[in-house]
Amino acid sequence: MRILAIIPAYNEEECLAATVRNLEATCPEVDYLVVNDGSTDRTREICEQQGFSCVSLPINTGLSSGFQTGMKYADRHGYDAAVQFDADGQHLPQYIPVMAEAMQREDAAVVIASRTLANEAPAGARGAGSKLIAALIRVTTGKRITDPTSGMRMYNAKLIREFAHGFDLTPEPDTLAMLARRGETIVEIPAHMEERQGGESYLNLPHVVRYMARTCLSILMFQWFRK
Amino acid sequence: MSLMLRILCVSGSLILLLFITSNIRRRKVQIEDSIFWVILAVALLVVAIFPRIATFTAQLLGFQAPSNFVFVVVIAILLAKLFSLSTEVSSLKHRLNELAQEEALLYKEEEEINSAREA
Repeated sequence: MRILAIIPAYNEEECLAATVRNLEATCPEVDYLVVNDGSTDRTREICEQQGFSCVSLPINTGLSSGFQTGMKYADRHGYDAAVQFDADGQHLPQYIPVMAEAMQREDAAVVIASRTLANEAPAGARGAGSKLIAALIRVTTGKRITDPTSGMRMYNAKLIREFAHGFDLTPEPDTLAMLARRGETIVEIPAHMEERQGGESYLNLPHVVRYMARTCLSILMFQWFRK
Repeated sequence: MSLMLRILCVSGSLILLLFITSNIRRRKVQIEDSIFWVILAVALLVVAIFPRIATFTAQLLGFQAPSNFVFVVVIAILLAKLFSLSTEVSSLKHRLNELAQEEALLYKEEEEINSAREA
């Protein structure tokens, strides 16, 4: 099973090198691709100096588009699975083989590394948002996803193709809801996650409001009409 | 339709036509994208010069005043235009992202070919 870890990186000079080194050391059999999404810091130079496998977008296009770039690469190079992997060191590479194993065993379309199953459910406002999204998915699709906002997800070859050619497919919970409703198998494995090791969090108020609005609207209203 | 409103409509549409023309001359807007505004301005002008059109249709549809009818029609047209602009922005964003992605992937592919050749 050929696996590609897609590492979207926007201004991640602080911990990108450590994250990639850790991934290389822990999972030498897993290929990776750093997607430098128009960073304005030294992300690009770090990739070049260290000889990382990397593509650099000329402008900042956002997480969805950056991730889609990785999916296009995976599609064109015939990977069997692709995993979303954060550049900030939150995700631990040792779970990638576990996810791959679960994907093969259950013939799953998506495997999520769930903090909740590892008894590390996000707390506070972040946890409340996550619970709300999980409840919405439960109500609209009947499927239980314990950690929909986990950023570490593995997709099979069919979904790689779909993401590569998609118009507005986000690597976010609303896409999980759509896939669940369509009857795709979504499996979760318990996984521990680290605190982010550096760089800037997206967790500011305007961004959170927009994220929740987009996610809820998409799950509640648009998923019934999307093709 | 009151005389005041007619004068307002006539001068408004004339100013709009002038504004569009000057924007085309200063290369701020493409002729293709100005069609909507020219038609809107001319339609406004026609209604202002022949208010019977508005009065008659307003009565037919049961509006209390012709001016209400004109407002409703203009607001509806503008909302439709606004939404079509949203779809156009979405499509432009999508195509811009595609371009950026393809450029990045092409560069990577070239790099891979070069390093394979050297090896």
